[in-house]
Amino acid sequence: MSGVENSRAAAAYVSPAAIVSLVIAAVPLLFILFTSVDGRGLSPEAFENLLSSTLFRRSLYTTIEISVSASLISLVLGYAVALHLARQSPRRRALYMVLVLLPFWTSILVKSYAFTVILGREGVINSLLSWVSGSHIALPMILNRFGVMVGMTNYLTPFIVFPVLASLLAIDPALYRAADIMSARPMRIFFTITLPLSLPGVMAGVSSVIVMSLGFFIIPALLGGRQDVMLANLVDFYTRETLDWNMAAAIGVLLLAMVVLLSAPALWIRRNRLVGST
Amino acid sequence: MEEGLMSECDNSSPVARLSRRRLLRSIGGGAALSLAAPFVLRHGRAEAASKNLVFVTWGGTYRSSVEEGLIKPFMAETGINVTVIDTPDLAKVKAQVTTGNVEWDVFDAPGAMGTAGSKAGYWEPLSSSLFDASDLSIAATADLVPFYTFAGGIAYDPKRYPEGKYPKNFAEYFDAKAFPGRRTFRNRPSETLEAALLADGVPPSKIYPLDVDRAFKALDRIKPSVAKWVDSTPQTITLLQTNEVDFSYSYASRVRTTGVTGAGMAFSFAQTLNGLEYLAVLKNAPNKENALKFVSYALQPARQAAVMELLGNTPVSKKALPMLSADTRKWLPDMSFDQNLIMDEMWWSDNFEKLSRRFKEWVLT
Repeated sequence: MSGVENSRAAAAYVSPAAIVSLVIAAVPLLFILFTSVDGRGLSPEAFENLLSSTLFRRSLYTTIEISVSASLISLVLGYAVALHLARQSPRRRALYMVLVLLPFWTSILVKSYAFTVILGREGVINSLLSWVSGSHIALPMILNRFGVMVGMTNYLTPFIVFPVLASLLAIDPALYRAADIMSARPMRIFFTITLPLSLPGVMAGVSSVIVMSLGFFIIPALLGGRQDVMLANLVDFYTRETLDWNMAAAIGVLLLAMVVLLSAPALWIRRNRLVGST
Repeated sequence: MEEGLMSECDNSSPVARLSRRRLLRSIGGGAALSLAAPFVLRHGRAEAASKNLVFVTWGGTYRSSVEEGLIKPFMAETGINVTVIDTPDLAKVKAQVTTGNVEWDVFDAPGAMGTAGSKAGYWEPLSSSLFDASDLSIAATADLVPFYTFAGGIAYDPKRYPEGKYPKNFAEYFDAKAFPGRRTFRNRPSETLEAALLADGVPPSKIYPLDVDRAFKALDRIKPSVAKWVDSTPQTITLLQTNEVDFSYSYASRVRTTGVTGAGMAFSFAQTLNGLEYLAVLKNAPNKENALKFVSYALQPARQAAVMELLGNTPVSKKALPMLSADTRKWLPDMSFDQNLIMDEMWWSDNFEKLSRRFKEWVLT
C-alpha cells in the first residue's frame, strides 16, 4: 500500500471515533472553559477566588497527598500481583486473572459499602480480632485516611496489574535463561532485567492510576473522615450546594491542567523509548 | 429532606448542557420531552391537553409512601399519568430553567432548596385559590406551598444506651464529658448551627438571626467527638446501626422505619429542629396545569393524612392531624412545646451560600 492510501484508510477508521469524541468531549470541555471565565464576561474571578480560598488549597493538598500515596501503594501491590501472574502457566494465569477482574468489574459504590461492612467497628475484621484475642477490639479503620487508602488501592490495583503484566510477558525468556547460565541471583535478575524492561508498563499504569485518583469522589465521601475532602468533592459542593458553576468549572479546568501536566512526561518518555527502539 | 449520595452518578452537570441543548434542537424534542408532549409545548399554551406530569421526589421508602398515599389516588381520580423521578436536585433545576429545556413539573423541595429556588426565580407563582389557606398551619409563599414538617433530633440505640445514658437535648448532645461517645452531624451549616446555638443556651424563640460566631465557637467544642459529617440522610441511621457512632443527628421519620425492619433505634423528642418541606412548580413546566392540580390535591386534608400516615411527618393541614393514627402521632413532635425550633428557611436563603463555604473550611481545619 502506498503512503497516501495508507493514510486514507487510517482516516476512514479513525474519523468516526474522532468525530464522536469531538462532540462528546471537546465541545463540553470548551463549555467548561467558557463557564470558568464567567461566559462572555471573560473574568478570571473564579480562579482568583479559588486560589485565595483556604477550602480549595486544603482540598488540593489533600488530593495530591491521597493520589500519590494511593498510587504508590497500588504500584507495589499491583507489581507483585503481576509478577506472580507472569510466572504462572497460561491456564492458571487465566484462572487467576478472574480474581483480579472480579473486583475490577464490581461497581465502586458497591465496593465502598462492602468495605464499611468489612472494616467497620463491628465489622468482619474487628469481630475476628475480638474473637481471637478474647477482648473487645474496635480499631477505627473507616471514616479516616486508612479507609480511603484501602478503598482506593483496591480500586486502582488492577490498573497497575494489566499494563505491568503485559510488559512482563513481552520480555524474551531467553534473557532469563542467559542470566541464569551466567549464575545471576534472583535479586540481580530482577533489578537488571525484569524491572527495567517492565518500566513502560509501570509508567503506563502509574500515570493512569494517578490521573484516575485525582478525580476520586465516592470513596473519600463514604470511607473518609472530615479532612479527606478531594477536589471532586469540592466540585460537587459548588455544583449542587452553592450552585456556583463558575467555581465548579474553574476547579474542573485546574484538574484537567494537572492531568495534562502529569501525562505529558509519561507520553514524552514513551515516545522517546519507541523512537529509541526503532 | 436529604441529599442522596447516589445522586451524583446521574447529575446533569453544566457540561451536559450545551450538547444536550443542541441535540434536543436538532431532533426537535428529544427523548425526555417526547414522553410529555410535542415540541411546541415548551413555548406555551396547550398544557391542559396533556395527560402527563413529572414529579421529582425522594427515593426509597419515602418514594413508595408518596406513591401509595398521593400519586396512585391522584392518577385514579384525574386520569393524569404521573412519572416519578428520584432525588430533587437544584443544580438540575438550574440547568433546565436556564437552558429552557424544562422536563420536570413538580419539585419536592426541602426548605433551603425551596427558598434558594425562589430567590433564583426557578418556580412558577402559585395562586392562593389552589388551597384552603385557613387550613394550613404554615403559610404558603408566592411560589412555594408547605407540604409537611420533619423533625430532626438525637437518635440512639436503646439497647446500648438505656434511659439516662443518652443525650436528650442539644445541650446534652454537646456535652461530651457527661455523655461520652462518637456523634454525627450533617455536613452543612443549616440545622448544625441551629443545634449549636440551642446547645449553647439560646432559647428557640431567639435563635434567628443566627449568632454565627457563637455557633461556630460552640461547634469547636463538639468537633473532636464528631466521627462523621454526614452527606446522605440514610447514613445518619446506618452509622448508628453498625455502631460506628454512639449518637446520631437524624430524623424521627427515619428512626420510625427502623422499628419496621426490627433494628429498632430510638429518637429523643425532648428537643427537635423542625424543617419544612415544600412543593414547587418549575418555571415554564411543560405540564403546568396538571402540576397545579397536583399541588392543590396534595394539600387536601384527606391526602395529607394518607401520605403522612406512611411518611411519619407532620402534615401542614390542620384538619389532617386528627385523622392520623395514634401510633403515627407518637412520632410527631409537639409543636406547642417551647424547646422545639422551627427552622427559618427565609433566613437561610440569604445566608446559606456564604455560610456553607465558611462551614466547609471550618470542618477541614
